[in-house]
Amino acid sequence: MEEELISKKDLLDETGISYGQLYRWKRKQLIPEEWFIRKSTFTGQETFFPRERILGRVQHILQKKDDLSLDELAGKLSEPLSQHQVILTVAQLRERNIVSNSSLERFGRPDSEGMQLTFEQILNLFTVDLLLSKGELNLEEADRLYLTLGVHTPGFAGKNWELFFVRKMGVSFYLMALSGAELAFDEGVRVVSRLSLADLTEQLKVRLS
Amino acid sequence: MEKKELPDLQMDGVNTAAGGKYNKVNINGVSKINGALSAHTYKCDGVMKMNGDLAAEEMEINGNFRLKGNLQAGVMKLNGVLTGDGNLRGERCELDGMLKLKGNCEVEELIGEGVFTVGGLLSAGRIEFGLHGLAEAGEIGVESLIIRKTGSAAWGRLLGGIIPKFKLELRANLIEGDYIDLEYTTADVVRGGTVIIGEGCSIGRVEYRTGLTVHPGARVEKEEKNGA
Repeated sequence: MEEELISKKDLLDETGISYGQLYRWKRKQLIPEEWFIRKSTFTGQETFFPRERILGRVQHILQKKDDLSLDELAGKLSEPLSQHQVILTVAQLRERNIVSNSSLERFGRPDSEGMQLTFEQILNLFTVDLLLSKGELNLEEADRLYLTLGVHTPGFAGKNWELFFVRKMGVSFYLMALSGAELAFDEGVRVVSRLSLADLTEQLKVRLS
Repeated sequence: MEKKELPDLQMDGVNTAAGGKYNKVNINGVSKINGALSAHTYKCDGVMKMNGDLAAEEMEINGNFRLKGNLQAGVMKLNGVLTGDGNLRGERCELDGMLKLKGNCEVEELIGEGVFTVGGLLSAGRIEFGLHGLAEAGEIGVESLIIRKTGSAAWGRLLGGIIPKFKLELRANLIEGDYIDLEYTTADVVRGGTVIIGEGCSIGRVEYRTGLTVHPGARVEKEEKNGA
């Protein structure tokens, strides 16, 4: 699945930032190197970005940059997963509306209001909830996703993974691969969603903070 | 304070040392360091060969420095020649002489005179540089870029024809920045907010947002105004 790209020029026009800001953020490692995608066009080499991710990131930086220095912001964005010492109870998740009520009811046991969840566990819940709320999963598939994530995420040991949710002829399944993997599918396959750990973490962190 | 507990390294004469973590490093003479070295302050006069990464908060290099690795510096003063195989990342770099890097150069400020050669991306907050010879960079991305010619133009013109190294020029594929003020630059594409194309430039395409000034002695093939 080709991710939609945005050229550097369009990005600047759309967000109102300048070349200098973009390079500065890159220097401060606010924008990861992998997002700079070089492609040759009729005007020579141009740089493109993954559209959704870069727009989200730029918005995020613009919002936060008044309160935090760029270095602090970079630290927040690039903390490795293992450093997330966030532990919240199910009740807190409900209260702060991080995970929707219906997902919590389905995946949290009824007596678990006070149960404490680690960041990884919250992330799994958050992922399932995200896809459910987008209407891309049915409940049964959501159950399966929750199981899959629970079983397989520890195996990646903090490395960045991507999750593919694909459907063919009404049959759906999940694939998890190390980030950056190029997967090719046969013709009848439809990739319903593609999520990466980095993006999910980032979204969740924004919600948590 | 952890830094106080680190040892100092002092070397004079002809020496070889392993890397390590130091507080102060002071090296005079001809020396070689095998391995990565990090220090609080790093001062080196003479000829140095370093096989590994170098990191220091304050760095002063006089002479000839050959680095096989990445360089990370807070404030860096360089008088002489630095040749590096890796990347340079730092806050401020004052340069009098030659900086040759195969990788990328990312600093907040690059100020000085002489020549730089950067294989990859040269990214900086502010660059103010006086050219003494042929400078090259793959790409330049900056907030503010001022390129001037400081070397003697007569020598440049005289020798430039025979020995390309003496030609006073900055060459880059792509230059992007908010404020770009160039002299004696050859580039395929220049994109920026305010762009000033000075004497002796030859630019394939200029894209600008707020303003463009072109010196009569410059050649620009294509101009394009973008955005508001």
